[in-house]
Amino acid sequence: MNDNKISRRDFVKGVATGVCAGAFASMGLYSYTQSAYDRLPKVQRKFEDFGACRSVKVINISETSWFNNAHLIGDIHDAGGLLVNQYTLNWAPFANGQGKAKGSYDSGIASIKELIPNDLEKAWEIQKKLALHPENPGGFSCLIEVEELDGTKHKYLLDTGWSYDWMEKSFKREGIDKMLQAREIEALFISHEHWDHFWGLPVTMKYDNRIPLYVHDGFYKEGLQYIKDSGYKGTPVIQKEPMRQIIPGMAVLKFDVPIINRVFGETSLAFNVKDKGLVLISGCCHQGILQMADFAYTDLKYDNDRFYGIYGGLHISPFEDWDPKYDDLVISLAKWNFERIGCNHCTGHLTAKKFIERGYPVVRGTARFRSSSPDYLGNGDTITF
Amino acid sequence: MDMDSNGTLYLESRKLVKRWSGPWPALINTLIMAVFFYITWWIFQDPRGVFRMYTPYVGYMVCRWMLILFIWVAYIFDFWPFKRSWLERTHPLVKGLVLTLVSVAAMVIVIKGFFIELLGNYGIAYFNPERLQAMGITHFYALEYATEAIMMFAAIASWLSPSWVVACEGAPWNKLKQPAKGLTIMVVTFFLSMIVYFVTMHSHMAILFYPWQQYTAITPPYWEAFANTVSGNFHIAWIMCCTVVVWQFETIWERYPFNLIKTDWLRRTASFFGIILIALALCFFLYYAQDLVWGETIRGTRRLAAPDWRWLHVGEMAIFWLVPTLFLNFYCNNWPNNFSRPVRVCLRTFLTAALAVLVYVVYYKTAHLFLGTQKGFSHPQQFPMIPMIWLINIFLINVWFMDGWPGWKAVPRTAEEMREVEEEKVASDVKWTPALARGLAVGVACGAGLYAIVIAILPWVGKTVEIIK
Repeated sequence: MNDNKISRRDFVKGVATGVCAGAFASMGLYSYTQSAYDRLPKVQRKFEDFGACRSVKVINISETSWFNNAHLIGDIHDAGGLLVNQYTLNWAPFANGQGKAKGSYDSGIASIKELIPNDLEKAWEIQKKLALHPENPGGFSCLIEVEELDGTKHKYLLDTGWSYDWMEKSFKREGIDKMLQAREIEALFISHEHWDHFWGLPVTMKYDNRIPLYVHDGFYKEGLQYIKDSGYKGTPVIQKEPMRQIIPGMAVLKFDVPIINRVFGETSLAFNVKDKGLVLISGCCHQGILQMADFAYTDLKYDNDRFYGIYGGLHISPFEDWDPKYDDLVISLAKWNFERIGCNHCTGHLTAKKFIERGYPVVRGTARFRSSSPDYLGNGDTITF
Repeated sequence: MDMDSNGTLYLESRKLVKRWSGPWPALINTLIMAVFFYITWWIFQDPRGVFRMYTPYVGYMVCRWMLILFIWVAYIFDFWPFKRSWLERTHPLVKGLVLTLVSVAAMVIVIKGFFIELLGNYGIAYFNPERLQAMGITHFYALEYATEAIMMFAAIASWLSPSWVVACEGAPWNKLKQPAKGLTIMVVTFFLSMIVYFVTMHSHMAILFYPWQQYTAITPPYWEAFANTVSGNFHIAWIMCCTVVVWQFETIWERYPFNLIKTDWLRRTASFFGIILIALALCFFLYYAQDLVWGETIRGTRRLAAPDWRWLHVGEMAIFWLVPTLFLNFYCNNWPNNFSRPVRVCLRTFLTAALAVLVYVVYYKTAHLFLGTQKGFSHPQQFPMIPMIWLINIFLINVWFMDGWPGWKAVPRTAEEMREVEEEKVASDVKWTPALARGLAVGVACGAGLYAIVIAILPWVGKTVEIIK
């Protein structure tokens, strides 16, 4: 009887030890093996048909979001780093003159609320006196012309820049102001809430305050309030679904990603160009270009089942910083076989340089209007897919 | 009697006794630590707070090096130069303050004196942010790169330093007196950390710069094909798992089963390498678990699907396991205790694993509401390891430096209790018998079956459970 008890105790001790040993052994011997990965379900492609268009032309209004990297990142650093709320950075147009990290949406907008969108020159002058590095802001914005298969042409704006002064001049340079006034531009898509894509909103509102406006549903309350304070008279379309078709061959893709300086989510544009393939256009592409490409591969149907082109800020080394994971992208971009790559803005000059060194089909620019490198499709440059 | 010279660590020589019965000590200490955590987080780390060190690498480096210094002070130097009598008589609050400040001062000397000024000026430029800045890198990233390198050194040392004391029992220098013992183990583990650093993280740092620094480092790194990334996050994954497993081995596992080995050198060697093997197993599982939940990685993406982030997240998940492990050991008397050692080790392992899942879920559901961090799993500047290690540091200050004050107080262990401590090092409570062997076989099969069930469930979890809305 006593022996049995001892045996039972030993048996239980053995079981307890064995359970842990067996679990850890299985974890170690199986988890990172080919057999383990062979059992993962294969990707089921959805081939969602969003039509096709004949061509897409992008006119780069401005890709120079800021002009001095050290000032920009220095301000962010002084405020506490990349997780600090962007509205507290004390940058125009939300500056209150109290210095780094002491800004707020309410105190900043109070100084110019009555002036926007009709007296932007005065509003910006006031803000320049209150803001950190007031000469640094530029902005990102591009005009997209889409031709349908029947020849109908559509114009859209992707993003509206940052500095009222810079964007006003950039709009005038490309004739955007007149297109807006004439209601030729059918919609404004804000890729995300960041300063350099969104804070120049009053400049668009000055010329067309009823333009259909599309934003990600991750916008914070300050961003939604700014849409109202900018003089917008319509109701913004807040996109909640992963994909929304705009016209045949054009869709807005929504990605839920946390982004630096307390921004959440980005939307990008996808086009199916007949006989060519998929074209992706992004503002900053915080979701990652390969993440976006993978989403398109999994979800969308496009001609020739081929990735044709990509344009925009590809958000790889926006502050000319680097990380080995960026090399992962540079290395693995090859297997996606894009035929035309138009990059600028937050792609990073070093990234563009590495793309070119690897022989990728980067469409070069002219380095005009304060764009600094021909490796980029710069301000005033165009690309047609 | 002053016990400085008898070879017993202060932490082993004392017994923490509850000041009040029931759950009150644990509850009160938890409450105090939570408040202290939040105040100090706000002052030092929070992006909305005073010093805003969560840039993130500056704050990350600081909390990792604080952890190392606490380990050095308590485990390696056994509180030298403070006398045992001072430790026994001084009020815990005073001890906590003095020992923490001494640790912080030593940390500043190591970071500023050794890494930035010595190594950064006479060895490797990337340890010195000013040199990087002078070469054209913005101030912000110069600081981030340098602190990342210094932080990584601490990550490696936070595995090797305690491992030498816990697994290798301080051998062959365990009979030396302080400070010779502490200095020797510190120098040896520092040296080993440096070797591990060079073969794991140096290449990562070398490809931060253009062009890749191929004359001074192996580029592309040798692990690229295996890990599907050139990022050193692959090494962070298994090294963090090693760090966590060392402490599990020391606390909830009571050094079982390696303490059954009677031969000193064999036990120590088996413990040291056993920890590494268990950590590798954990590392591969946690990586695979992510693939099961979120789908396979896509190399070159930046976030959730990126292999480099998934390796990093392995380390983050491991740290989530360390928090309940230490809490159970420090504040719940290593519950449960009323079973045989193998059974209680098994129960604690699964209990803490379940609690780790709970901490993980609560963290991702709520951290952005009060820590000043951003919502989401994968943010390029978000490291849950920082608040977790910050919290662990506070645990360590409370238990190691303050004897668990206010809920607990230290009393000397009796001779009988000291024997029990020694028993943990070389145990004889489990002996090889046919019944044990049968049980072991059944257990191994059950463990493998449990693993099979978990990996079968995880894809379903990925489809149905939404932690972040």
